Amino acid sequence: MSLFISEAFAVGIKEGFKLWLVWLVFSSLLKEQDRPGLMRPFYLGLALTSMLFAASFLAAPGQQARGLLVGLTGYTFFIFFLSSALALYQGAGVNLFGPLRLTNRHLLRAVITASTVFYFSPDIIGSSMFVRDAAEMKASYAGVYLSAASGFILPLIFIFTPVQARAGRLVSGYFGLPQFLLFLSVIKLLGGGIKGFAEFSLMPLVQAGLMKFFHDVVHQTFVYLMVPDHPMLNTTAWNFVGIFFGSNISIAATLLLLLIPPSVFLHQSFLAPVPEPGGGAATGAERRMFKSSVVADRRRKAVPVIFFMAFILISWYSGAGDTASRLYNPKPKPVVEDKGQVVIPFTDPTMDLLDGRLHKFSLVSGQEAISIIVIKKPDGGLAVCLDACEICSPEGYGQTEGKVVCIYCMTPIPVSTLGRPGGCNPIPLNAIITERDLRIDVAEILLKWKDVKTGKTKGAAE
Amino acid sequence: MMDFITVRGAHREYQTASALRGVDLEIAGGVWCSIVGPSGSGKSTLLNLLGGLDSPTKGQVFIDGVDLRTLSENEMARFRREKIGFIFQQSYLIPYLSSLDNVMLSQYFHSMTDSSEAEEALKRVGLGHRLHHRPSELSGGEQQRVTVARALINSPKILLADEPTGNLDRENTKLIMELLKRLHEEERFTIVLVTHDPFVSKWAERIVTMEDGRIIKDEPLY
Repeated sequence: MSLFISEAFAVGIKEGFKLWLVWLVFSSLLKEQDRPGLMRPFYLGLALTSMLFAASFLAAPGQQARGLLVGLTGYTFFIFFLSSALALYQGAGVNLFGPLRLTNRHLLRAVITASTVFYFSPDIIGSSMFVRDAAEMKASYAGVYLSAASGFILPLIFIFTPVQARAGRLVSGYFGLPQFLLFLSVIKLLGGGIKGFAEFSLMPLVQAGLMKFFHDVVHQTFVYLMVPDHPMLNTTAWNFVGIFFGSNISIAATLLLLLIPPSVFLHQSFLAPVPEPGGGAATGAERRMFKSSVVADRRRKAVPVIFFMAFILISWYSGAGDTASRLYNPKPKPVVEDKGQVVIPFTDPTMDLLDGRLHKFSLVSGQEAISIIVIKKPDGGLAVCLDACEICSPEGYGQTEGKVVCIYCMTPIPVSTLGRPGGCNPIPLNAIITERDLRIDVAEILLKWKDVKTGKTKGAAE
Repeated sequence: MMDFITVRGAHREYQTASALRGVDLEIAGGVWCSIVGPSGSGKSTLLNLLGGLDSPTKGQVFIDGVDLRTLSENEMARFRREKIGFIFQQSYLIPYLSSLDNVMLSQYFHSMTDSSEAEEALKRVGLGHRLHHRPSELSGGEQQRVTVARALINSPKILLADEPTGNLDRENTKLIMELLKRLHEEERFTIVLVTHDPFVSKWAERIVTMEDGRIIKDEPLY
């Protein structure tokens, strides 16, 4: 079996398995709450998702829409995780917004349908695009599509077998709304990737996003509040500051951010006072029986939360990567000005710009050597930037797997985000790409370099 | 309408003997019924059937409308835990636990512990000053009072007592019987008490006499 066919099969199984799991737990939750009628808006959501899938498959969206989908998968994770966090707080008795109850039946149904579409569409559409690309590369549409479709259908067969009822009984009683939302976000985290084997889970995307968020918060705080004379500050001071957003600390801090809501829930589940029964309990035994049932229910509902916390923890660290690996930091190749431009060929006997590795070039201007980086991004485009960011001292960037890393503050930046301005990203340059080379205006290089040296980019970030 | 306790044609046969030979009995809820008879007449066997500790080889036992045969082992355990309290001739208190802990143990197996409620129960049986004493530091009468508190702590609907005063002198027997009478009047749970002592049986509202595995007399006292 070719790699394309097996990958399409795996992608199909992943999407089908996610759908089956969500179907199983949601139906079990509704059964326990005696509201099986709410499966109908769920089915409607699935039908709408199928229609969106069909439309996108036929329309074959372009690069921009794909980028949007990748972002959307990350946002859906965060929205469901945030919802579960709020629901966990609510379930733990911390009423953030007072008693939250959707009493309007029509509104509840609309929310379920919309959530179903929002949850499944990015993954299904994204994965279908991946399968479509695989089919085009293989030039064997039938084999790849059939493989993906059969993989998708395989887990759904469980719905019509006794496995569904048995598994439903097994999970019954363990899921309330907070646990279900947490379950959805964990499923999304573990299986929300839409790039086949290259990115099966959302873990790298979420890690990168959270780490960048954490880093930016710490970094900007120091820059704007505590170190106003930056970037003139000496390197030693920034090395101390850098401890706070070194990758190890930011991994731990972002993990903490993820684990705080379930931890609060568990704390409340095990340590919060058990409420007294209302007027119904006539005897002490009845009162104890009521309280005991509350305790038992709390413990049962804590089981999936503990399970998911362990899952997040294990997956997080297993995917954290080798942060101690040495950075690839090539020596800059000298380039010269030619009619107001720097011209860099894609290939020459000593290098290949499209090989995915970090390339550095040095333009001498007066007494200074200005460093420029070029790297091929996962989407095939070239990122062309100054070897400096708006915040740190211009020590430049090194490369490790899938990221470039600021040598000054050791902040990792995903290669896919290069070319975006702001924060710790290297300052992008507008390059003209021709068939054989790329060209950058020297005036732009000098202007942006001057801003770095004088700290004006700090104002731009503001 | 079925009475709270209904026994229909109950037989209990062992390999070499028949302990019960077709017992029919109905006891209304809240009644105190004594079962008397000579040794080997089947009194304790009948009590074990009522408590779900044994099952009839033939016939049926209904408690509060539930046919005990239909209950699984777990359901039976839950049924006993929630509906039945036991007192035996021996106190069967855990020797290394205090009176309070012995009562709380019963709460634990029922649902969850509540020390203030257990304390209150021991005070009701006159042992407020013996809360932290172990069984070996209590007299026989006091031990049996702990068992009464333990049996009633979970508010059972039936109290099954098998020779509860068999090991006590007359003075302590009287104390226990007065205690049971007071509690019965306060809470109106059903009592089925097996004894061969006429002094004990006369505290009941009804006396059932057994002989050779059968009921031979059934008389209300008042």
